[in-house]
Amino acid sequence: MGTAGDVIVGDRLTKFYGHDRGVEDLTFSVAPGEVFGFLGPNGAGKTTTIRTMLDFIRPTSGTIRLFGLDAHHRGPEIHARVGYLPGELALYERLTGERYLRDFASFRGGIEFGHAGNLAERLGLDLSKRIKDLSHGNKQKVGLVQAFMHRPDLLIMDEPTQGLDPLVQQTFYAMLDEERARGTTVFLSSHVMPEVERVCDRVGIIREGRLATVSDIGDLKARVRRRIELHFDGPAPARAFENLPGVLDVRGHGDELSIAIEGSVDPVIKEAARHTVVNVETHEPSLEDLFLAYFGPNGEAPADDTSGGGNPDPGGAP
Amino acid sequence: MSGLFAKTVRDQRRALIGWGLGLAAIALMYAAFYPSIKDSASDFDKYLQNLPDAIRNVIGGDFTTPAGYLRSETFSSMGPVLFLVFAIGAGARAIAGEEEDGTLDLLLSTPIRRRQLLVDKIGAMVLTATALATVLFLTLWLVGPPFDLTVPAVDLGAACLLLLLLGLAFGAIALAIGCATGHRGLALGITGGFAVFAFIVNALAPSVDALAWLRPLSPFRWYLDPDPLVSGITPANVLVLLGIAVAGYLVAWYAFERRDLAA
Repeated sequence: MGTAGDVIVGDRLTKFYGHDRGVEDLTFSVAPGEVFGFLGPNGAGKTTTIRTMLDFIRPTSGTIRLFGLDAHHRGPEIHARVGYLPGELALYERLTGERYLRDFASFRGGIEFGHAGNLAERLGLDLSKRIKDLSHGNKQKVGLVQAFMHRPDLLIMDEPTQGLDPLVQQTFYAMLDEERARGTTVFLSSHVMPEVERVCDRVGIIREGRLATVSDIGDLKARVRRRIELHFDGPAPARAFENLPGVLDVRGHGDELSIAIEGSVDPVIKEAARHTVVNVETHEPSLEDLFLAYFGPNGEAPADDTSGGGNPDPGGAP
Repeated sequence: MSGLFAKTVRDQRRALIGWGLGLAAIALMYAAFYPSIKDSASDFDKYLQNLPDAIRNVIGGDFTTPAGYLRSETFSSMGPVLFLVFAIGAGARAIAGEEEDGTLDLLLSTPIRRRQLLVDKIGAMVLTATALATVLFLTLWLVGPPFDLTVPAVDLGAACLLLLLLGLAFGAIALAIGCATGHRGLALGITGGFAVFAFIVNALAPSVDALAWLRPLSPFRWYLDPDPLVSGITPANVLVLLGIAVAGYLVAWYAFERRDLAA
């Protein structure tokens, strides 16, 4: 699985905590320059996977390699090229942002500080304040600068936009786009669809410790179901929507229609434009919707083949 | 000097100033009390003769000489208490404290090896404890003579060195437990409990035969016997206390390298 140049290669990676499952039999790879999303509900094993990548914990069996090096045996060489943002950020509260970042620059062998200053300025982060006096969002910015400041070849981020206000999220996405343009590989975990849709090229879906599927973001979007509520200025023309491509179900009550769509919403929007629409409401697809799309109403995972996931074309879907 | 070592020392700067001032103040206070206690020393000694052996073993029992006074007042009571509290706290905090705070993850996401992290933390612990021992030595050495509290600098230095090593030994035990478990409270509790137990065993063993075999296992056994204020350095005692510290550091390293870190 994967090719020699892959930045991350998990090979039957398994981690148990005593009898408790962490992750089981994860086989996947991330190519250079790829933005890879690790999508799954809380407790699915996302953080466990990331912590094995950084050698905080060791696999029970299987291996994980970064830049072709074993995560456990070659930690320092790997870490020099990695920027990491943890899911639960804990900083040295008594230090100022600048002191903190300068310390981390020295832990990284004295990298030049200019880039960190630029990033902080861009994020609107006041580096002269003590970290304990910063808001949650501003602490998160310190974490981001820390992850980006040494221009890493690989960014590993656990739920990166958690706790960022929407404006900062946009800046973060812009920073990520620049990194992508520079050729940086990105591995990020998330439990929300929109974040993954926005930034990722490929997505691995992890459920109960197993990699259920890996798919291109295009395929994911084509499969995912979302619901649109349309509010018309008169009786809702339910009929007009029922036979449009991708429409699964149309429910009407009075002036309102609730339409379930699989894949592109374009046909529905085009049809709606022929009528007078007072209001449109869309619901972001939830993980449950996604699982439903991939695994059907019974929620059974695709046949447990020997690859343990990583199959870009799963069965199971209706 | 590594960035992490510098940071660790810097983090303790304020605590170190506080501890240093406190230690100096206490040493000064003991020195200042010496003249009045010396004058009534004969009464004191009579009183001491009536105490049970075990208690006399603990407090020393000879107030008439500067060495006896220092041993009883400074090096048997407040000295070890302060050094152990400082060293055990630092040992428990070094790794387990950072792990519980969650700050260890980011530290180890940099190219710093676990071994290097431990070396830097131990280096900072040794440096700060040495600074405190030096403060104690200098204070007693400088303010002792005006109060007639004079012992040879070599002997005073030997006592301060053994106190430092006693602190480092217990600090290393706390560090090892913290590295093995990741729990700061556990490291504090077990090491603190062991310190109290070891102190009592060492005090009671000379008069309680059933405890005699336990005494060599108490680090306190290797601290003031023979009395450094009288006979200077005893190499065996230095080696045993140093050995405990080094063994603690090695156990810490072994455990920390192999363990999964808590999220």
